[in-house]
Parts: sequence; C-alpha cells; structure tokens
Amino acid sequence: MSKLGFAVSIAFTYFTIIYLTGIGGLFSERSGIVNIGLEGLMIIGTVTGSFGAYYFGTKLGWGVPAGPLMGLLLGLACGAAFASIHALATVTFKIDHIVSGVVINLVAVGLARFLSTIFFGQATQSDPGQPHLHVISIPLLSKIPAFGNAFQGLSPVVLLPFLIVFPVWWVLYRTRWGLRLRSAGENPEATRSLGVAVAPLRWEGVLLSGAFAGLSGAFLSVEIVNNWREGQTLGLGFIALAALILSNWSPIRLLGAAFLFGFAQAIPLALRDWPIIRSIPPQFVNMTPYVVTIVVLAGFIGKVRPPAAAGRAYEGTTT
Amino acid sequence: MAATVTAPPATDGVAKARPEWLERAVAQALALLLAIVIALALGSVIIVLYGESPIDVYRAIFEAATTAKDGPAWVLAAATPLIFSALAVSICFKGGLFNIGVEGQYLVAMVTAAWAALHLGGVLPGPLLMWGVLVFAMLGGMVYAAVPGVLKVKTGAHEVVTTIMMNGIAVSLVAWALNGPLKYTNAPAGQNVDLRTDIFPSNAKVPELGHLLGFGPAPHLSWLFPLAAVAAVIVWFIVKRMRLGYEARAVGASAGSAQAGGINIGSVQVKLFLISGALAGLVGMQQILSNNASSTGGGYLPQNYEATLGFTGIAVAFLGQNNPIGIVFAAIFWAALSRGESILPIETEMPREFVIILQGILIMSVVITYTLARRRLDRRQTGRVIAEEEAIEQQEPDQPPPTIQEVTA
Amino acid sequence: MTDIDGAGSESSPPLVVLEGITKHFPGVVANDDVSLELRAGEVHALIGENGAGKSTLMRILYGMYPADAGRFLIRGEEVKIHSPRDAIARGIGMVHQHFVLVDPFTVAENVILGDEGGAVLDEDGAERKVRELADAYGFQIDPHATVEDLSVGEEQRVEILKALYRGVDILILDEPTAVLTPAETSDLFENLRRLRADGKSIVFISHKLDEVLDIADRITVLRRGVVVGETTPPQTSKAQLAEMMVGRPVLFRLDKPQVEIGEPVLELDDLTGGRLHGLSLEVRAGEIVGVAGVEGNGQRDLADAIMGLQTLEGGHVVLEGRDLGTLSTAEIRNAGVGFIPEDRHDQGLVLGMTLWENSVLGRQDDAPFVRRGVLSLRRIKDLARRLVKLFDVRARSIDVTAGALSGGNQQKLILARELETDPKLLLAAQPTRGLDVGAIEFVWRQILDQKAAGRGVLLISAELDEIYALSDRILTLYEGRITGEYPPDAPPEDVGRGMLGAVAMQGAG
Repeated sequence: MSKLGFAVSIAFTYFTIIYLTGIGGLFSERSGIVNIGLEGLMIIGTVTGSFGAYYFGTKLGWGVPAGPLMGLLLGLACGAAFASIHALATVTFKIDHIVSGVVINLVAVGLARFLSTIFFGQATQSDPGQPHLHVISIPLLSKIPAFGNAFQGLSPVVLLPFLIVFPVWWVLYRTRWGLRLRSAGENPEATRSLGVAVAPLRWEGVLLSGAFAGLSGAFLSVEIVNNWREGQTLGLGFIALAALILSNWSPIRLLGAAFLFGFAQAIPLALRDWPIIRSIPPQFVNMTPYVVTIVVLAGFIGKVRPPAAAGRAYEGTTT
Repeated sequence: MAATVTAPPATDGVAKARPEWLERAVAQALALLLAIVIALALGSVIIVLYGESPIDVYRAIFEAATTAKDGPAWVLAAATPLIFSALAVSICFKGGLFNIGVEGQYLVAMVTAAWAALHLGGVLPGPLLMWGVLVFAMLGGMVYAAVPGVLKVKTGAHEVVTTIMMNGIAVSLVAWALNGPLKYTNAPAGQNVDLRTDIFPSNAKVPELGHLLGFGPAPHLSWLFPLAAVAAVIVWFIVKRMRLGYEARAVGASAGSAQAGGINIGSVQVKLFLISGALAGLVGMQQILSNNASSTGGGYLPQNYEATLGFTGIAVAFLGQNNPIGIVFAAIFWAALSRGESILPIETEMPREFVIILQGILIMSVVITYTLARRRLDRRQTGRVIAEEEAIEQQEPDQPPPTIQEVTA
Repeated sequence: MTDIDGAGSESSPPLVVLEGITKHFPGVVANDDVSLELRAGEVHALIGENGAGKSTLMRILYGMYPADAGRFLIRGEEVKIHSPRDAIARGIGMVHQHFVLVDPFTVAENVILGDEGGAVLDEDGAERKVRELADAYGFQIDPHATVEDLSVGEEQRVEILKALYRGVDILILDEPTAVLTPAETSDLFENLRRLRADGKSIVFISHKLDEVLDIADRITVLRRGVVVGETTPPQTSKAQLAEMMVGRPVLFRLDKPQVEIGEPVLELDDLTGGRLHGLSLEVRAGEIVGVAGVEGNGQRDLADAIMGLQTLEGGHVVLEGRDLGTLSTAEIRNAGVGFIPEDRHDQGLVLGMTLWENSVLGRQDDAPFVRRGVLSLRRIKDLARRLVKLFDVRARSIDVTAGALSGGNQQKLILARELETDPKLLLAAQPTRGLDVGAIEFVWRQILDQKAAGRGVLLISAELDEIYALSDRILTLYEGRITGEYPPDAPPEDVGRGMLGAVAMQGAG
C-alpha cells in the first residue's frame, strides 16, 4: 500500500500547484477579469524561479533555505509583473479577456525561452545544481501504517494552501477590500456609482493572480523538479481553471477540487501497475488528467455561477 | 402594408464623405502599421541593450528572408502550415469560438493521413493517393474538432479549456500510434529507438514547387502553398458570401439576436468546428508529405514532428486581423521573421530568441491597436450618424402625423 | 390635493444652482447653457423626451461626467464636482434608472459599499444602522435580505437608502416609476413627501406627465439640451407640457380604425415554463390585444415562448389552428409571425453588422436572398434600400453599422424588416421603449395599420398609455398568468389592480 502513499504524495504536490494557481485565478475572476493566461504566468514563474534558486543558492552561495526562497519570491514577483500586461490590456484598454489571455500564453513561451538564454545560456533548460528546500515530514500523519509515506519527504510549500485558505476566505468576505473587489466582479456600475474606483481593484485582482500563478510555477521548478525545462507546466494552468470552475469560485471548495485534479495527475505517474490501469496502453493512461478535466467541465459547467460581471469590460461612466 | 407619408429619406447609398468599408480598411491598415512600428521600436531598445545596431539587426533579418539564397522559398514554405492554422482559428473566431485545439487536431490528422498513405495505396492508384491522404487528414481533424464542438453545444463546456485538454490527449494518441499500429516495420528492438512510421509511397507525397518558380532546390516548398492560398479564398467566400458565414458572424456578434432571427446557434457552432478541424488537418501535411530536408528525404511521420504550429497559427490569425487575405500576408511576414532566427546568431550578437520576443511584442501591439482603432471608428461613425440626423431634423422638422383615416382611406 | 406643503418653496434660498451647464458628446450637444435652481423641501421635476439631456445634466451634477462649461453653486458657494464621491460628500445622491445593486450581497452590504467605516467589515453594526435609517423614514426593508430576492419596489428603496445613509440633502431620481406598479408608485410618492417634509431637495426626472403633475412643486422642461420652460402644476396641463417637450402639439391618442374582428390568429393555451404559470390568451384577426404588466412578471418568457426561443414545460402555442410546439424559431417566423423584441440590442439587431446585413435577419434561409447557401448581395441590398425608404430610416447609407443608428431608427429598421414579410401575427414587446415622441407615434401608427389590414397584434407593454392607446382588449399579466381582461375604456385603477394580481376574469382568458 505504500504505492498508494506514493500516489497521494504526488497528488499533494500537484494539488499545491493547482490550488495556488487556482487561488490566483479566483482573485482575478472575482474582480471581474477572466484570466486564462494562468498557464503563461506559471511558465514565467518556472523559469524565473529556477533562476532565482540557482543564482542565489548556488552562484551567490546563499545555500538553503535562502536560495530556494529567493527563487520562489522571484517567481512570484515576475508572475505579477507579467500579469500587469494582462491587466493593462483588459482593464485599461478593455481588450477581450480571452484574447488577452491567449496572447499572454503565447508570449510567455517565447519569453521563457528568451529569458532562459539570458539566465542559463540555453533555450530550453536550466543548469544543474539548483538547490531546493529541505523536505519535511508531517508529524502524526506520516506514522499511519498503510500509507504514512504520503506525508513524508514533502516540500514545506505543500502546507501553504492549508495556511492560506482561511486568510483568503476572510479577506474576501470579511474585509472592506474584499467586499469592494467582489462588487467589481458582480456589478462594477454599482461600485463606481458609490465612488469606488473599479480599475484599481481589477488591477489588484490580476496582479494577485500573477503572483500566485508565478509562485506556483516557481514551486514546480524549484521544489518538485529541481530544474527548469520547457513545457514542464503540462497544462496545469488550464486544469487550475477547471478546478476553479468546479469549486464555484470558493477558496474552501477549491481545496477539494484541486485535490481531485491533483490525484488525476498522480494516476499515470504512480499507479500504473494497478489492476485495471495495468491493462490500458501506457499512452492512454497518460491522458488521464486531460480526460478528467473534460469530464468535469462537461458535467458541471451548467451548475456553477461565475461572478456576474466577469468577462464584460467595464466601460467607465455608462450613458 | 400602408405606406407612411413623411419627409423624404436622405439615404439610398449617397455617400457624402467616404464609404464605410473603405474607412474601415484604412483604419485597419493604419492600426497594423502602428503596431509594427511599436514592435520594432521596442525591439530596438532590446537590441541596443545587447550593444548592437537596430538597423543592422533588422536588415539582417530582412535579407535572410528576401535576398538570401533559399530565403523566399523557405519563407513561403514555412508560411504554408501557418496559413492553414490561422484560417482554422479565424473561422471559429468569426462565430465567437476560440479553437485553441488546432494543435491537437493536426496531430491526429497526421496520424489518419499516415494511415491512409500506408494502407490505401491499393485502392487509390497514382495521384489519387495523395488526394486521398489529404482528405483523410481533413477528416481526422474534423472528427477531433467535433468533440469539443459538440461538448460546447450540448453541455456548454468552454471550448478554450476543452480544446487545450484535447491537445494534451492528442500528443499521447500520436505516441500510441507510433508505438503500435503505425510503428515502422523493421524497427530495431531496444529502448532508444527513434520512432516513426514507415515511409509513404511516393505517390502519396505532394510534388515540389520550388523549381517551378525558379527558386532552385527548395525541398519544403510544395503545391501545398498554392493550396493554402486557395483555402484562404474559400474561407473568405464562406465568411462573406455564404449563409453559414453570415450566420456565424451574427452568432459571434450577438447570439441573442441571431437566435431570435431563426438561426440555430448550436448547428452553426458545430459546423464551424468541423470546417476549422478540416483546415487544421492540413497544417501538418507539409512536414509529412513534402520532401522535407532530412536524411531519408521525408515522407513519413516522425516521433519528433514539429509541434506548436497550432499556437503560432493563433498569433498569425491575430496579426492578420482574422481576415483570410490578411492572414496570408501575416503568415508570410511571420515566416520571414522566423527565417531571421537562424541568421541572427551568425551575423550579430543577438540570440535567436530575440525574434520570438519581437513576434510576441508584435502580437500584443496588434491586438491592442486593432481593438482601439475599431472602437474609435465605431464612436466616430455613431457621432456622425447622430449629427446627420440632427441636421435633417433641423431642416425638416417632424410634421404633425396624419390621422389614420387620412392614410388608409 | 393632500400634499404636505413643502417647507421650501419661494421663501428659502436655493440649495443648488446650476449655471450655464454645457456638455458635448461626439456629434451632439447634450446640454446647451442650462441653468437650474433646486430648493430645500421641494420636489423639482425635470422633464423632456429621450435624449433631451435631463439625465446627462443630473449625471454632470453627480460627478459622472465633467461639464464643458458652466458651474455649480451649493449653498451659495461655487464648487467643483469631479466624481460621485465628491457629489456625495457635498450632499448629492442619485438613484439611477437602472438600479446598480449587487445581487448576491445583502441590503446592508449594498448600502455600506464604499463607506464601510473601517478595513474590517462590521456586518451586525451595518445592519443595525440600516434598520434604524429605514425605520426613521418609514421604509419597509429587511437589511439582512439578499438583494436578489427583493421586489423591484424594495430594490428602489435600497437605492434611496444608499443615498440617505450618506446624509444627502439633494436626492436625484432618474425615471423612478418606470418599473413600478401603480401601488408601488404611490408608496414611493408617500416616501418622497416625507423626505420633502424633512427638508430634502428632490429632483424627479420623468417623462410621465400625469405623475409629474401629481408630485412636483416645480417643473423644468428640456428640449434638445435647452431649457424651454419652467412652470408649476397649477399653471400648466399635460397637453401644454407635452407641447413644450416636443415643440409641437402632440396627439395622445390616435384614431383606431374600425375593423371587423375575424377568426383567432393566435391561441395560447395554459403555457407553463420559466416564469409562465398557466398562461392562456387569444388574439383574433384585426384585433390588438394589449398585455399590461409590470416588468418581471413573465413578459420576456411569453414573447420567447411564442417565438420558440424558450422550451415550454406545458401548454400549446397555436397559430391559425396550427400547433407551433415542435417548430424552430425559423419555422415559426416562416409560418407568419413578426417579432418586435423588447430588447432591440439583444434580440433584434446585430449591432456589429451593417444596416443591410440586418435587413435580411430572419430571412437568411429564403430565396431570393439566398440560393444554394450563397447570399445574393444585390437582392439583400435592394431589400435594405426598400425598407429604409418605406419607413424613413435615417441613415446616410445602408453600409453604416446598425450600432451607429439612433434608438428610434433602429426600431424603425426592425419594424420595417418584420412588417415587410406581411406576417399574420405581430408580436410587439415594449415597442416604444426609449423612443422619443415622434418615433412613438410612428410605431403606434404602424401597429394600428396592421390592425387595419386585418392582422392580429399581441402587444406587451409596461406603459399603460400605450396599452390604452392601441388595444381593443386589455389583459393583465401577473406572475406568469393572465389575471384580468378589461375593455379599452376601463378605469386605470382597475387595470392596475389586475397588474397586482387581483383576478377579474370577465370573459375568455
């Protein structure tokens, strides 16, 4: 049964990625800006995070944990910076949100290559010797007989979702900023008519989405894979979107949705030898995460309620 | 129907200043020009940071595409799959749909085409085989595109995410095909075998075009290029002159009004995905059906097939402003820039990735300038119409309406 | 008149003075050197046609647009107002025609948005304050309720509370009664009288002259951005006000043609689904049936059901004896139904397309406009030119985008397009919404022409004036059901009761 434990630990790591990216998407969409460029933002996070960890950790010799932490921070910051393009396009220029998101994704791939040549001298992968944080084991849970190993050897970042879920909920529903942010996403005319500016709120939502997605990408390259490689985000940015939809834009329900998709990722990676899965051609098993996402979207899309003004450009004063 | 008796109309196509369509075309061209200027300007900043001269760099790129030995041929050949890809994206976009799945659709199409090439030789002799292969490619793309299309119509699942998921699935499908049904005979055993299909019979391949145009040996350039141009014309015709195009544009602009006007939205959307899939299917044909430059002379489906053509197609579609004719030129322009990639590290200090950045900035500028230009044009049109109405009102104030008896007597 | 006489009137100095306000939009002068005075303890009505500039003027006062010229004086002091926040700070509040409430939020959350009193929300405190405020003015409202669940009248009260919460002295109401039943309107007026007695200055923007004469202390008339008159109710009449608004004498009722009523053209039998709960009615040839009702009682569903845009759970739609149940929208149109939708942008025209492209919408399957899937541009453009000529659609060419046309011309285009097919039944939903008087008369004339030609017309409207002007029979719609049938000379109070649900079936329903 340690196989299951192994699968669960993999599920945890993908859960973390999906949750963090999803929370980013949550802030953006709640403010009224649809952000399908999460994948591209994650990509920027992966390449800059990897560079940060390598440069500060190895090159400058700051070691662990400073090096990897700088990597994570750099990924977060660069993700937010890159997201400002999406904010500029959608909030200031009122470009169609989906078009802008597609552009973000396209440009991110090229930009990552370009940055990689600057950082690492090569276009598609990073240098070896990139440090990562010391792994931890969760005290009680790792002693569970059957699959205690699921909770061993995890990156400490895995705790982050659990640490932020309540603060995020509280900020959204119990603070002035959260009330205003949500109003911008539901009915920006109401917000504006009461003298609260909509554009700054939406900028904040989008920048946050960049920060979280960037952090998530950095987590992937710094902590999980320990290097940067082109294409390592594997569509997780889109899967995070699906998780967000499934969770009906609730930070608490997102925990469950992210874990579902995280586990779908784990199947081809850890559970190949399981009874039924064993008899399916390996390439088909690889499709699992994608198929699960499609099934979820097809089944649930009618039953959820996105923020009412998400996707609509707010034109300013209405005539 | 009783006619009304009021002031004479001031219409009937009497164009006072400029006709609307011309105004629009001029605005689009200016927006494009502005975007290119912005991109080149921002690119210059990067060039200068690298210690190079922008003029040298841009000239190197320009020459690589035009005056260098096999430049033009390479450019036209590279533009070919981009044209098909961008057309596929843009026809869906007309209907308000985002087909990000061209990527996966052409992968699947390559598999179906390979199957046809390898197995239909007996049924389709001579040049028919090539046409058969192309048809099977289109069918493969259509079927694969139908999946997200039907899901969208039946369940409302947003096509952006589903098509991207389908892309991921397609990669695995190709891997499976190359490992299984289409695996090449006489493959040596072992771990690091370079997978591919068997080589296609020569009558499955598309003939070369280079020597016909006086380009000299140009292995990539084939009759697929003119076919792409023809496809652009066909797409233009469908969008502008056929009912399906009209319905698609209505659905894309105002689904509610389209529906109230009797248009069946779901049916239109599925048709768009099918046509898009068919076009997408042809994207990969150049790499497997032309004499691409490789050791074996091309004509098979390799494991290291060229991917990302689907995504680049989206960029080209934006650059061409979703207009079939614009797309042809945009594809050529894009390919010309890409040609510069290999030249840059040789002749300058710039890394080849600079071209990618330039292309990225270009897409962003085009999207923004085009949207802003269109919006300004709409505002101006509206203002002008209102002003003219005002003028007419001043000259001929509303007369008191006749009573019904006067009119129907 | 039992009005409580305002504490203001002639004696008190003006609270707000607008001087020389001028505002241009592309191609149009919305306000041209407008001057106005608002006094405490008074209801000041601002009337004019659509596009006369009354909303624009008030929005400038509220800081939503900058004026091109002119100034404001509040309590004698010149001020600059750059945003709604400034306006609120100066004691000016505005309730818009289309409410700006956040549906999933509670009443309290909607009221405090923007003035939350701290970075962390105090939900209980907010609800308490809102309840106190509501009680002080006699408003019936539950601060804890979610706005989504409120009635239109209650939503309006929330909007007014938003302004009162911020301590405004000047309250601007933009077309407040457009969406209210007669009973809710009278509730509103009671609340307004209480506010007036409290010394508030109320600006009442409206085009409903009967109501204006009822509630206003002073009336200012705008036409094409210019002040054309200032008066008080005792000194004027509805006809005089209308003439000032339009610039010429206005007919309020057109002569209805005498036509023999024929066989039923449309029969609706127990329609259920969406907001419809067993709706039945009948329209005969040569007859105009007017369905009166406050918005939100199933009007949209009714129109959609007839056009096949909404699936029904039960009931039948029968056109000249033929059950339309399984037909598609296109087939229903072909069977002879013309449709003037209540939302011309959402269901009528494709704004992004040109005028000529819109002319063929609804007939894109028919020869000679389409042959074997290919459009005949020549024939479509001929059609467009014909429509434009027939209905005097003011546009400089058929190539303009439909979005550039004025509301009146857009509606004319839709009318022309639908009537050109000579439908057996014309379904007209809110056909004159947002139109000025000239266009309204035009549309009414077309509808009466249909009757004269022996066609059937089903008119759905929230404007009682319109219902009375056109209908041969008046039906009231409430909560998805027909609650009453009235002759065209029935007193409005009776019809009003039917609109509120009092059932009074006097005949076939």
